[in-house]
Amino acid sequence: MRIGSVAAVFLAVALFLPQAQAQVPARFYWKTLSDANAVPLIYQSVSGNTNPFDPSHHVTAGATFDATLTMAGYARTFTLLDRAAMAAVIVPMGRISGAVTAAGSSATQSASGYGDPMLELNVNLLGPKAQKNLPDVLRYEPGLSVDFLADLALPAGEYNSSQVLNIGQNRWYGRLGAPVIWQLGPWVPGRRTTLEFLPAVWLFGDNDDYVGQTLKTDPLFQLDAHLSRDFTERAWGSLDLAWYSGGEPSINGVAGKKLDNLGFGFTLGYQINDNLNLTFGYKSTLSDKAPDDLRMDSFMVTLVFGWHPLLEGARRLQGEK
Amino acid sequence: MKKASMTVVAAAVAALFAAPAPSQAQAQPQAKRPNIVIILADDMGYADMGSFGGEIRTPNLDSLANDGVRFTNFYTHASSSPTRSILLTGVDTHLNGLGNMDEWTAPNQRGVPGYEGYLNNRVATLPQLLRDSGYHTYMVGKWHLGKQPDQIPAARGFERDFSLLDGAGSYWDMTNFTLASPLSVFTENGRYLKDLPKDYYATKTYTDKLIGFIDASRGDGKPFFAYVAHQAPHDPYHLPREWRNRHIGAYDKGWDAVRQERLKRQIELGIMPAGTQLAERMWFLPDPIVLAPATRAVLGKKMELYAGMVENLDFHVGRLVDHLKKTGEYENTIFIVFGDNGAEGTDLFASIAGTPGTRDFLYAAINWSQTHPNAWGDPGSYVGYGPMWAQASMTPFSQYKGWLAEGGIRNALIVSGPGVKRAKGSINRGLMHVADIMPTLLEVAGAGYPKTLEGRPLPALMGKSWNRVLAGQAESPRTEKDYLAWEVFGNRAVRQGDWKLRWQWKSFGKGDWELFDLATDPAERHDLAAKRPEKLKAMLALWNDYVRANNVILPERSPFEGLAEKMPERFPDDAGFPPLIYKRQFVPPKDMVADPKP
Repeated sequence: MRIGSVAAVFLAVALFLPQAQAQVPARFYWKTLSDANAVPLIYQSVSGNTNPFDPSHHVTAGATFDATLTMAGYARTFTLLDRAAMAAVIVPMGRISGAVTAAGSSATQSASGYGDPMLELNVNLLGPKAQKNLPDVLRYEPGLSVDFLADLALPAGEYNSSQVLNIGQNRWYGRLGAPVIWQLGPWVPGRRTTLEFLPAVWLFGDNDDYVGQTLKTDPLFQLDAHLSRDFTERAWGSLDLAWYSGGEPSINGVAGKKLDNLGFGFTLGYQINDNLNLTFGYKSTLSDKAPDDLRMDSFMVTLVFGWHPLLEGARRLQGEK
Repeated sequence: MKKASMTVVAAAVAALFAAPAPSQAQAQPQAKRPNIVIILADDMGYADMGSFGGEIRTPNLDSLANDGVRFTNFYTHASSSPTRSILLTGVDTHLNGLGNMDEWTAPNQRGVPGYEGYLNNRVATLPQLLRDSGYHTYMVGKWHLGKQPDQIPAARGFERDFSLLDGAGSYWDMTNFTLASPLSVFTENGRYLKDLPKDYYATKTYTDKLIGFIDASRGDGKPFFAYVAHQAPHDPYHLPREWRNRHIGAYDKGWDAVRQERLKRQIELGIMPAGTQLAERMWFLPDPIVLAPATRAVLGKKMELYAGMVENLDFHVGRLVDHLKKTGEYENTIFIVFGDNGAEGTDLFASIAGTPGTRDFLYAAINWSQTHPNAWGDPGSYVGYGPMWAQASMTPFSQYKGWLAEGGIRNALIVSGPGVKRAKGSINRGLMHVADIMPTLLEVAGAGYPKTLEGRPLPALMGKSWNRVLAGQAESPRTEKDYLAWEVFGNRAVRQGDWKLRWQWKSFGKGDWELFDLATDPAERHDLAAKRPEKLKAMLALWNDYVRANNVILPERSPFEGLAEKMPERFPDDAGFPPLIYKRQFVPPKDMVADPKP
């Protein structure tokens, strides 16, 4: 049993990184060795009646949007007061175009460029202590693990106040959450099963220049749930469920409809080697027939490159590279 | 008629060993002969039980030790079936059919009486004689003495059994190790099993079955003999999940530290005399302090699992003991507890799983490939703890199972129950041997040893009864002139008094005779063959006597042939050498530290 391989497996699997700002896939909050690094590259093709760059999922009734979204970022794991922690920055980029039909007239808009960068901090509160060395990695099993999560998006993305559709959101927003991982059965690659939850609240500042008006959004409660299962030591899959509630928007004081929607999807993951992970996923909203229901479906491909200096050095010495 | 009269005699003799005090005994119409329970642990080391210096938690086995006597100079054979054959016949392996293990019979031993590889029909067995004298005879666990219908436990004297006929296998199911022999073979009451009971786990099921056997005949007035031949803690270390994590990180300190701690406790307990030296760390093993923490964690986790195996075994022994206490049988039960040979240091799985491209490798890939540490203990995993921990298990002795160094053949022995008149919890250093159990128990049962069996003359028993020792009337069953001798795989040894003569394959031995004084050198560090030629000659004469008396045929092939060429060259393990690997960062005096000048 090569120690390097053991740890690398943990590392590569656990350094799964997010795609859409509003959602992350199963296994995103799995823990790994402290001081590991990851660079995610995420491609998403989204269509629906809401701007996928906007985590408030503000529904524009009668609209049809198509977006190509890519995100790149950097994440690092570390130990905070003996607990596992992760800090990440994600920068979205891409393009979106859409048509809105209202009162018998149609308008088409498009936008492209960089979105609002998001900073993320996640700290484990309950569960095993941080994996500070390889023996910790060797002995790690999540059991029931509960984290504290904080996200903050900076209003630095491309924004054109003359149109509704934008990549940047021209306001501060963020999220507070408590990722939960519940290990079901043995923690053996090839046989791992988890039930994962992410209850979170998105909080939004005001956009004071929303086509010359003020856009306010109430807090949005979001619950992501995943049932994740290994197929082999390298391949896994998950069933994904998302529930959105709240987030009632108002424009110049005129309230819109608050969300109460479900999304359902699946993810397939494959660990290409000790450093590279690939996933493919699809998700679609349910019960979305009414014009003002949230309607969104997305294909997503992620490629995450993870590394740790200790493991890279060990591989060099062993002549594996 | 013969059986009936024997039972009467037996009852009279056994009254000596019955539990009740004389006044109570007088009030009873007939004293019941004691029950007998032999608990045989497979590959358990000399120093594993708490009462022999181990840090492994064995409260139930220790409780038997505290109620009885511990023996520190007890010998088995160096491997499984030879020890079992002697235990159950009282006759030397070269006569009883296990002159070599079935798995390693050499070409020049094939067809020779005494080398059948199973318990031959020229010997009587202990259960057979006890059954004939009126005992119920039960067996659970590993047999390893033959699979044919006339060789299985039911054919060799056990009324009821639940037995694994193989030498090892999965603890969870019938999976065995090779494509040629993929299934372990079990018998229950003389029938070959098609399947195993639901919720089967070897150690638990064996205990459940035995309790069932005992209960089924309780109240009929007959004593019982139970041979509890546990598979544990033999590898693979299959273990229920809740028993796997009882020593997390405890063994990361490495085998040297554990050996030192165990020896310290052994001296404090009186198991080993003050001043005892540890045997050399095997020359091919590293000092664990030079290993990376992760390496120590992985290797330490194997020992954690082994400790769990022993603790689980202890738990189920406790279940049996509790049951006997609840049913009022405990006080009238003799317990004999020991391991069948030294701890296992050889990587058995490597030798049976083959290499890529071979038949057995493909079998192992499907059935034995759960290699992740978190899977260790599950079905499909195969963990053994290696020579480093085997040495720790055999503290303070040298080497391990398969070899005739003390680490291969010396074992911890506990005897408790009626007949033991020594102080509770005491320690005895008499020279004992597994062959002694047969005459001891026949005497306890008043059964006697016949001269013939079904018209065939029986070989003489090689052992000596312990009963005078247990009664406190002697310190050893042997005189200074009595000797013990062993041969298996071509390795040979003789012990007389404190002297030991040994021949072992290189590099575990010299490929020549070595001579040790175990009184001053139990770790067998100092070969005195050159210094004491007269003693060497005298011991060699004993060896030749043993060869003649027992028709010892040295095998022309052995599992150890060519071993020296495969292993690193042997050098002494001089502590602290080379200094290079022990050097620490130099720290200058604080008042002489300065920043560089610009």
